[in-house]
Amino acid sequence: MASHRNVIIAGGGRVGFQTAITLDDRGHDLTIIERDPDRCDSIADEYVATVIQGDASNPDILEQADVESADVIAGLTGEPGLNLAVCMEAAAMAPGIRTVARIDSRRREAYGRFVDETVFPEDAGARVAVNEIEGSDVRSISDVTGDLDILEIRVDEGAPAANKELRAVRFPAGTLVISDDDGNRVARPDTTLTPGRHYVIAVDPDVADEVLNLLRG
Amino acid sequence: MSSHGERSPEANLSLLDATMIGMGAMIGAGIFVLTGLAAEIAGPAAILVFVLNGVVTAFTGLSYAELASSIPKSGGGYAFVREVFDDLSSFLMGWMLWFAYMIAGGLYALGFAPNFLELLHVYDVTPAPGAVGAIALPAVDAAIPVGVVLASVAVLFLVGLNALSTAASGSVETIFTLIKVSILVVFVGFGIASPMFSSAEFQPLFADGNGPFSLLPAMGLTFIAFEGYDLITTVTEEVKNPRENIPKAIFVSLAVTVVVYLAVVGVAIGTLGASGLAAAGEAGIAQAATEFMPTGLPVIQNGGAIIVFGAVFSTLTALNAVVIASSRVAFSMGREEQLLPSFGRLHHRYGTPFVAILASGVVMLASVVLPTQSAGNMSSLFFLLSFIVVNASVIKLRRERPDMNRPYEMPYYPVPPILGILLNLLLTGVLIRYLLRTDTLALLLSIGWIVLGGVAYGVHLLLRTDDDDPDTASTTSGDD
Repeated sequence: MASHRNVIIAGGGRVGFQTAITLDDRGHDLTIIERDPDRCDSIADEYVATVIQGDASNPDILEQADVESADVIAGLTGEPGLNLAVCMEAAAMAPGIRTVARIDSRRREAYGRFVDETVFPEDAGARVAVNEIEGSDVRSISDVTGDLDILEIRVDEGAPAANKELRAVRFPAGTLVISDDDGNRVARPDTTLTPGRHYVIAVDPDVADEVLNLLRG
Repeated sequence: MSSHGERSPEANLSLLDATMIGMGAMIGAGIFVLTGLAAEIAGPAAILVFVLNGVVTAFTGLSYAELASSIPKSGGGYAFVREVFDDLSSFLMGWMLWFAYMIAGGLYALGFAPNFLELLHVYDVTPAPGAVGAIALPAVDAAIPVGVVLASVAVLFLVGLNALSTAASGSVETIFTLIKVSILVVFVGFGIASPMFSSAEFQPLFADGNGPFSLLPAMGLTFIAFEGYDLITTVTEEVKNPRENIPKAIFVSLAVTVVVYLAVVGVAIGTLGASGLAAAGEAGIAQAATEFMPTGLPVIQNGGAIIVFGAVFSTLTALNAVVIASSRVAFSMGREEQLLPSFGRLHHRYGTPFVAILASGVVMLASVVLPTQSAGNMSSLFFLLSFIVVNASVIKLRRERPDMNRPYEMPYYPVPPILGILLNLLLTGVLIRYLLRTDTLALLLSIGWIVLGGVAYGVHLLLRTDDDDPDTASTTSGDD
C-alpha cells in the first residue's frame, strides 16, 4: 500500500472534519460524505477533501464516494447506528476495505464483530481535558488499550512513596510501573521514586486513586 | 517544489498571484517564440490564430475550473483525471501531459537561445544571429550548433537548480509576470506610436491564398501558448478561498492573455509585416522591437534591448515553470504508483522530487536538438490530447457522481466540454495532417512516446501483479 491512502469519511461534522484536516496534512486522499449542504460548502472552502452531498447510508451515495478504490472508510457521524450501517455497507461493497466506526460508549467489544476499529471521541476528548485540568503532575498518555490507563505521574515531595525504592513500595494489584526517571529507562526493583521526577505507570482504573495517593500524597 | 513537509500548509496565494501564475505561463515564451512561426504559416491572420485559440481553450478552461473547485488536489490535470478514470486512462493522460511539458521545456530553451544571441547582438558582442536577409537557411544552419549549446546550458542550469533546491519555485512568479507584461506594454505602446505601424499592412489577411483554412495548422502549433491554466491548478492548495478564486483566476488570466496577444501580435505584424516576422522566426518580436524602439538611450543604449531582454527573461522563466510542472506530473504519477516509486519520492537531502526532475531533464535535453517548430507541434499535440481527456473527465464525473459537491458549476453543461472535445479533436486532426505533410519526424516521435508509454505500463502491470517484491520491480523495469 502506498504511504498515502484513499479514505472515505462519512459525516463532515466537527469530528469528521477535524479528522479530515489532520489526514490531509499527512498527505492522504479524502472523500467526505455530508448530508447538510451548508456544511458541504464550508468543507469545500477548506479544500481538504472531495465532498459528496447526501446520506452516507444510501448505497447510491456511497457508490459515488468510490468505495471500491478506497482503503479505509470511517463512519464519524454523531449517530453510531448510522456509522455502523455505513461501515457494513462499504464492507459488503468492497470486502478488503478497513472500517472504523465512531461509537458513543466505551463498550467497544459489541462492535468488534462488525467493524475493524471503533473510536469514542468524547472519551479521548475527556482524557485531554482531564490532563489540562490536572496540570503537568498527572498525564494520560494513551488510550490504545481498552480500560487500562497509562499515566505519567510526577512524584510529589512528601508523598507516601517518595524517596522509596520500588521494591519497598506496595502498589495495589493492577499497577505496573513502566519507566524510570523521566522515561529514560525501564523501571527495576531498585528504582527510587524521586520527588519532582515523572514516572510512566499503567493502572487499572479502579486502583488509579490509590496509586495517585501513594505518589502524590 | 516541496509540496509535502517543509512548505507551510496555509493558503497564501491571492487571486492576483494565482492569475499571474496562469498568465506567466501563457504570456511567457509562447508570445516571443511562436509569433514568428505562426505568421509564417498563417500570414497576417496570425492575429486571428491567437484569438481563436483563446476561444477554443476557454471551453477547456471551464472544465478545469469545475474540476479544480471540486477536487481538492494540487496535481493539475493529471490529478483530476486520476480521480475519475481507470488506471490505464489516467496513466496515459499523465504520460502525455508529462511529455507535453518536457517538450515545452525544449521549445522554450530553443526560444531562449536566438533571443539571447539577439541580446548579445544588440550590444555588438556577436554578429547578427542569421536573421536579416531573405535567404535565411544557410545562416540558420550556421547558428544551430550555438543555439543548441545555449539551449542545453539553459536546461541543465534550471534542472540542476530545481533538483538541488526548492527556492526557484516560490511565489516570485507574480513579480516575473508583471515584469513580462510591463515589457510587452512598452512594446505595444512604442509600436503603435511608430511610423511603421501607421502604414500597417494586414492585406491579404491569409497567407498563400490558402484562405481561412491556413489558420488551423497555425492554431495547432500555437495551442501550447494557452496551457497556463493547468499550471494554476497545480498550486490550488496554496490559493486562498480556492473554490472561488481558482475559476476566477482561470478566466481572468485567459481573457487578459488573449488581449495581450492581440495587441502584441497586431503591433508585430503592423510594424515588421507578416513576412518580416516570419523570417525572424523565434526572435520575431525581438526583431520587430529593435526596428522601432528609440535608440541612444542612456545605459541600455538601444530601446529594443528592453524587449529582447523581455524575450530572454520570459523564455527562461517559462523554462523554469515547465521544469517544475513536468516534474510535478512525474512526481504525482510516482506517488500514485503509476511510475516507479522513486519518481514519487522527495530527495532526503534536497527536499526536491529529485528523480522526477532529473528524468524530465533528460527528455528536455534530448528535445533541444529538435527544430523549434517540431517541438512546438509535438508539445501542442500532447496538450490537445491531454485536454480532451480533461473535458471527458467532467462529463464522466457528472454522470457517475451527480451528488458531488461542485462549488463551481460550469454554465450550459454539457455544451462546453463537448465543444471543448470536438474543437480540440479538430485541431488534433489538423495538426496530425499537417505533421504528415511537413514533419513526419515529430509525428513518429510522438507515436513513439505513446508506444513507449504502453510498454512501460505493460511492464509495470506485469511486475505489480506477479510479484510483491518491490526490489525486483525497481531493478528490472528501467525503461522509463
